[in-house]
Amino acid sequence: MALFAVFQTTYLLALLSLRTYESEVLSEPLPLTPESLKVSVNSTCQCLHLQWTVHSLAYHQELKMVFQIQISRFKTSNVIWVENYSTTVKQNQVLHWSWESELPLECAAHFIRMRSVVDDSRIPESGFWSNWSSWEEADAQNLLGHDPLFVFPKDKLVEEGSNVTICYVSRIHQDNISCYLEGVQIHGEQLDRSVTAFELKNVSFIRKKGTNVFCKMEQGGVLGGIVLFVSKVLQEPKDFSCETQDLKTLTCTWDPGSDTGLTKQPSQSYTLFESFSGKRTLCKHRNWCNWQVAQDSQETYNFTLLAENYLRKRSVSILFNLTQRVHPMTPYNLFPKNVGATNATMTWKVHSIGNNSTLLCQLELLTEEKVIQQHNVSIKVNGEYLLSELEPDTEYVARVRCAYTKHFWKWSEFISQKFNTAEAAPSEAPDVWRNMKMVSGHPTVSLFWKPLSKVHANGKILFYNVTVENLDKPSRLEVLSIPAPARSTELTLDQCSYQIHVTAHNSVGPSPASVIVVSGDPGNEEVEKGRVNGTEDGFSVSWKPQSGDATGYVVEWCDGPQDLPCVLQWKNLGPNTTSTVISSGAFRPGVRYNFRIYGISTKRMAHLLEKKAGYLEELAPSDNPQVVMSNLTSHSFTLSWKDYSTESQPGFIQGYHVYLKPKAGEQCHQAFEKTVLPEDSVCCKYTIDNPEQKTFVVENLQPESVYEFFVTPYTSVGEGPLDAFTKVTTPDEYSHILIRIILPMVFCVLIVMIICYLKSQWLKEKCYPDIPDPYKSSVLSLIKSKENPHLTIMNVNDCVPDAIEVINKPEGSKIQFLGTRKSLTETEFTKPAYLYLLPTEKNYSGPGPCICFENFTYNQAASDFASCGHFPVTPQAPPPQLGPLTSPENLLKALEQNYMNSLGEIPAGEANLNYVSQLASPTSGDKDSLPTNPPEPALCSEYKMQMAIPLGLASAPPRENSSLSSTTLLGQGEHCS
Amino acid sequence: MRAQRMRRTPLSVILGLLFLSVAATSKCSGKYHELLLQLRHQANLMQDTSTLLDPYMRIQGLDTPALKDHCRECPGAFPSEDALRGLSRQGFLRTLNATLGLVLHRLTALYQDLPEAQQLVGLNIRGFRSNIHCMSQLLRSSSEAETPEPTQPSPGPTPPPTPPSDAFQQKLKSCRFLCGYHRFMHSVGQVLREWGESRSRSRRHSPCRAPGDTALARPCRGGARRTWPFRRDRRLMPRGQLPR
Repeated sequence: MALFAVFQTTYLLALLSLRTYESEVLSEPLPLTPESLKVSVNSTCQCLHLQWTVHSLAYHQELKMVFQIQISRFKTSNVIWVENYSTTVKQNQVLHWSWESELPLECAAHFIRMRSVVDDSRIPESGFWSNWSSWEEADAQNLLGHDPLFVFPKDKLVEEGSNVTICYVSRIHQDNISCYLEGVQIHGEQLDRSVTAFELKNVSFIRKKGTNVFCKMEQGGVLGGIVLFVSKVLQEPKDFSCETQDLKTLTCTWDPGSDTGLTKQPSQSYTLFESFSGKRTLCKHRNWCNWQVAQDSQETYNFTLLAENYLRKRSVSILFNLTQRVHPMTPYNLFPKNVGATNATMTWKVHSIGNNSTLLCQLELLTEEKVIQQHNVSIKVNGEYLLSELEPDTEYVARVRCAYTKHFWKWSEFISQKFNTAEAAPSEAPDVWRNMKMVSGHPTVSLFWKPLSKVHANGKILFYNVTVENLDKPSRLEVLSIPAPARSTELTLDQCSYQIHVTAHNSVGPSPASVIVVSGDPGNEEVEKGRVNGTEDGFSVSWKPQSGDATGYVVEWCDGPQDLPCVLQWKNLGPNTTSTVISSGAFRPGVRYNFRIYGISTKRMAHLLEKKAGYLEELAPSDNPQVVMSNLTSHSFTLSWKDYSTESQPGFIQGYHVYLKPKAGEQCHQAFEKTVLPEDSVCCKYTIDNPEQKTFVVENLQPESVYEFFVTPYTSVGEGPLDAFTKVTTPDEYSHILIRIILPMVFCVLIVMIICYLKSQWLKEKCYPDIPDPYKSSVLSLIKSKENPHLTIMNVNDCVPDAIEVINKPEGSKIQFLGTRKSLTETEFTKPAYLYLLPTEKNYSGPGPCICFENFTYNQAASDFASCGHFPVTPQAPPPQLGPLTSPENLLKALEQNYMNSLGEIPAGEANLNYVSQLASPTSGDKDSLPTNPPEPALCSEYKMQMAIPLGLASAPPRENSSLSSTTLLGQGEHCS
Repeated sequence: MRAQRMRRTPLSVILGLLFLSVAATSKCSGKYHELLLQLRHQANLMQDTSTLLDPYMRIQGLDTPALKDHCRECPGAFPSEDALRGLSRQGFLRTLNATLGLVLHRLTALYQDLPEAQQLVGLNIRGFRSNIHCMSQLLRSSSEAETPEPTQPSPGPTPPPTPPSDAFQQKLKSCRFLCGYHRFMHSVGQVLREWGESRSRSRRHSPCRAPGDTALARPCRGGARRTWPFRRDRRLMPRGQLPR
C-alpha cells in the first residue's frame, strides 16, 4: 500500500510537471522575433549573406519556423525580393541565408529585414508573424575607392548563353558616359543618379582571355572596365568506354568535347569513379584514364566519369564485364620463314592475356594493296602459318591481328611484314613476230618480241636466246644471246627456210620457246587492199578466213604516222578469229594507219592475207596541191598537180574541187556549178570525184580574159583550206597568127640589111657616087678650049677675108679662138660674142663704103638690116656646128659651110635658121667684155659670111646694157680681101 | 624610403650576379664597332611592337580603337630618352642592363598570355644583355677613365604593392608596360646611334652646345642627373611610326 502511494504521488508530480511544461511552451504566445541580424556582402558571388538568431527559444526547444525576408534596393520602400525561409530552429542557433543578386551589389545599397512565424504542428496556435526586424543596410559602395568611375561585376565567370547584368557607378554625375562590349557600344537603364545597369543577354564565348566590357567618360578620358569570363558550356563526355589489353589495366577513353578553360577557370577536370569498389581516381588527361584492375577477381565494373568545372558537372556511366572488354595488344615479331617461289611460312608472337588464354589471329596476305588471302589461326603465344599459291618473284605484305577468343571485343592493331617470293623460270614463251625485207640483195628478217608480263616472267629477264635452224639443209644451229631489255634483233639469211626459236631467260632458267618459220622470200605478194573504219575503241579489223589449215592470224601495224619510223606492233589471234579490234593509246586522229593481216600456217610460216588502211578519225586536208598551169590558149588551159600525195593526207582523198572565177558577167560553164566562197565571192566549182585524176583542162574560156583558179582536195570531212587564187590571162585569138607572120618578115628584113651593109660600097657607087672634081671635069676642058681661055674656077681658098667677127652667146662651152690661141673660160662668155670679119691693117684705108655680099637666104628679120652697121644677134651655131667651133679648123669649116650655103646650097631643112652675114665693124666695143687683146675697130667689112643661128635666139635682141663679150680674131693668112 | 632602399639592395645584388653570370658564360668580341652595330640592331629589333605589344593586344582583345588609346606607357615606368642621353656610357649600360633585367622578370609573368613571343623576346633580351656586358668590358678596358657612376634606379617595372587589381586593370597594366618597353628600346637605339665610331669619347654621349651656339649639337641640359627625367609626354607610335 505504501508502495502504491509512492507511485501515485510520483505520477501526480510528473503529470503536474508536464502540465507545467505544456503550459509554458505551447500555451504561451510566442514572440520569436529574429534577432542579431547581420548582413554581409560577398562580391565574388554577388551574394548577400544573412545571419541571425532566435533568442526566445527555451532550452532544448526545437521548432520549425518560417522566416520571411524582405530585400529592398536603394531605399527600404523599394522591395525587390521577398522570400520565406523555413527551417528548424534550436535555441541559440545562428541561422544563415544567402541571396544572390543579379545586379552587382557594388552598384546599389540593399536593405534587409525579416520576421518569423512558428510553423510547428505541435503548437496549434502558432500561426501569427512576429514583428519585423529593423532594416539592415548592405552597401558595398562604401568599399570603393575614390576613382571617378567603376564598372561591376569584376571578373565574373558565367557560362555561354547566360544573361549578365553589368552596372557602372559614376562619382562624377555626368551623362556622357559610354559603355562598350568588345568595342561595340551598349545601352543600359539608369537605376540611380549615378548608377546605370546593362543587361547582356545570351553572352557568347569570345576568347579565353575574357570579354572586355568598359565604360569611358567623354571628358577626361576616364576609363573603367571589367573582364567578363564567358565559359563554354561543359559538355557530357561522349564515346566513353573502357577496355583492357592484359586483364590488369583498364583504359577508359572518351571524347571530352570543348575545352572550357579560361584565364579565370582551368579546363574541366575528369574523375573516374567505380561504384562497386567505391574507388575514385582523378584523370590526368582530358580524354583517357587508366584504372588498375583489382586483384580480387572483380569481373563487373560500373564506371562513372565525372567532368566538372567551376560552373557545372557532367557525368556518364558504363557497366561492363572485364573479360568482354579485352582488346589484345598488337602482335609482334612477324617474320617470313622458308620463302620459296610459291610459298612462305609466316611466324609471329602475341602478348599473353591472363593464364592460358587463347587468341584468334587473322593472317592476311596482300599484294598491290589488295587482300588476296585471309587465314584465321588460334594460338596462345606463338603463331605460324604456311602461305601457298604465291606468285614467284612477287612482293607480298603479310599482316596479323588478334582478338580475345573467349569474348570477341576488338581486333588488335595489325602488324605488317613485307617479303618477296623467289624467282622461277618464265612460264610463257615470248610473243615473237618478224618483218622480212631485202637488204643489199639478202633477205633479212627483223625479229621482234614483247617483254614477258610480270606474271609470266617469274623474275627478272636477263637475256633472250635466238636459235636459228635451217630447214632446207642440215646445218649447225646458230644461237644468239641478246641481253635484256632488247626487244628485237636482225638476222641476214639466204633463200632457205629457217625455223627460229626465241626463249627468255631469268636467273632460274629459260621460258618455253616461241617458234617462227621464215623463208628467203620477202613475200611482197599483191594482196587485197581495203579500208578499215576507226572508232572510239580503235580499229575494227576483219578479214576473210584463210582457206586451209591456219593455226592463227597476226595483225600487224605501225603505231606512228607514216613519216615516222615504224614501231612495229602486232596482235596474235586464234585460228577461228576473223576480226578484232586494234586499240592503242598511240592512235591519233588524222593519221593513216596501215594494217596487214597474216595467216599462220601449220608450218608456223606467215602469209600476207590482206592490207587495210584507215583513220581513227578522218580530218579535212590540211594543205592544197601545188598546181601547175600549162597549155594556155585563148580558150583553155590545163591544170595539173601530179606531185600531190593522197597517201599522207589526214583522210581518204575523195576527189578535188576546182574553183574558177570567171570574168565579170560571165556565167559558169555547164560542167561547173555556181558556189559562194566564204568571203562572199561567187565562183564556179568543178568537182573531180576521182582522187587519182590530177589534171584538169579548163575550157570554153574567153580570149583576152583574166581568170582565177584554185584547186583543193576533199575528204569525207571536208575540203582543204581556202588558199589564194591564181590568176591567168587568156591570150588574143589572132596573136599567134601575127607572130607567125611578123617573125619571118623581121628575119627577112634583117637579111636584107646585112646584105646591104656588105654591099654598101657597091651601092654607093651605083646610087650616090662622089661629086666630080670640076678641074677634072670634061666640061671645063671644053669651055677652056672653045669660049674663054681665061675662064677659070674660083677657089674659095683664094679669097682672103679681111676680118672675121665671131658673134656667139656663151652657153658654157669653151671656145678657143684663132687669133689669140687662147682659151676663154665660161665666165668670159657671159656676153654675146661677135665674129667680125675685119680688113687687115695694110689694106685698111679708113672709112669707106662697105661692100656687102647679099645673101638671100637671110630671114626677114635679118635682112631688114641691110646696112653694114652692128646689129647684135645672139650667135648660136646649129647643133652640128656648135661643137666643132671649139677648134680653129672646125671654125673654118663652119665658115666655109656658111659660105657655101650662101651660094644657094642651103638645104631646105635649115630654112628655120638665121644666117648672119658679115657685119659692119663695131662702132663701140663693150670695153668691159673685151678680151685682153681686143681687135682693132673696123668701120666696115667687105666680106660677109653668114652663120647659122637658131631662130629663137635670133629673135631675141640683146638689151642695151647687157654685157656681151666681143672678141676679134686676127690672122694674116685668114683675111679675105 | 628606407623600405624602398631595402628592397633595392637585394635587387641590385641579384642584377649584379646576373650581370656577372652573363659575363662568365659569354665570350666577348673585342671589336667595338662590331659590338655597337649588334647593339643597334638588337635595339631596333626589340623596339618592334609586332614582337610583343601587338600580339598581346590582339590576344587580350585590347586592339579596339577605344582601348588602344588607353594602352599608353605609364609615365616614369622607363627611363626617358633624355635621361639616357644624360648618362655616361658606363652608366647608360648599367641602367640598360638593370632595366632589362626587370623587364625579363616582368615578362615571365606574361608567359601565360604570350608563351611563344615571351620566349623569343626573353632570348633577345638575354642576348642584348650579353652584348651590354661585353661593351661595358670594352669601355672599361679603354683609356676612358670614368668615375664610376651609380646605376640609375629603375623605378618602373616593379610597381609598389597595391591591392589586387581586377583582370581588366591587369590587362591595361601589362599593355602599358609593353608599350613602355618598346618605347624604351627605341630610345636606347637612338642613344646608341649617337655613339661614335670610336670608343674613346667624352663622358657624355654627344657634345652639347652652349646656349648661343648654333651648331647642330644637342643643347646643354642642366640637372639631368639631379632628377630622374622620365618621359611624360611621349607616346608609343604604331610600328613603323616610331620617332626617329
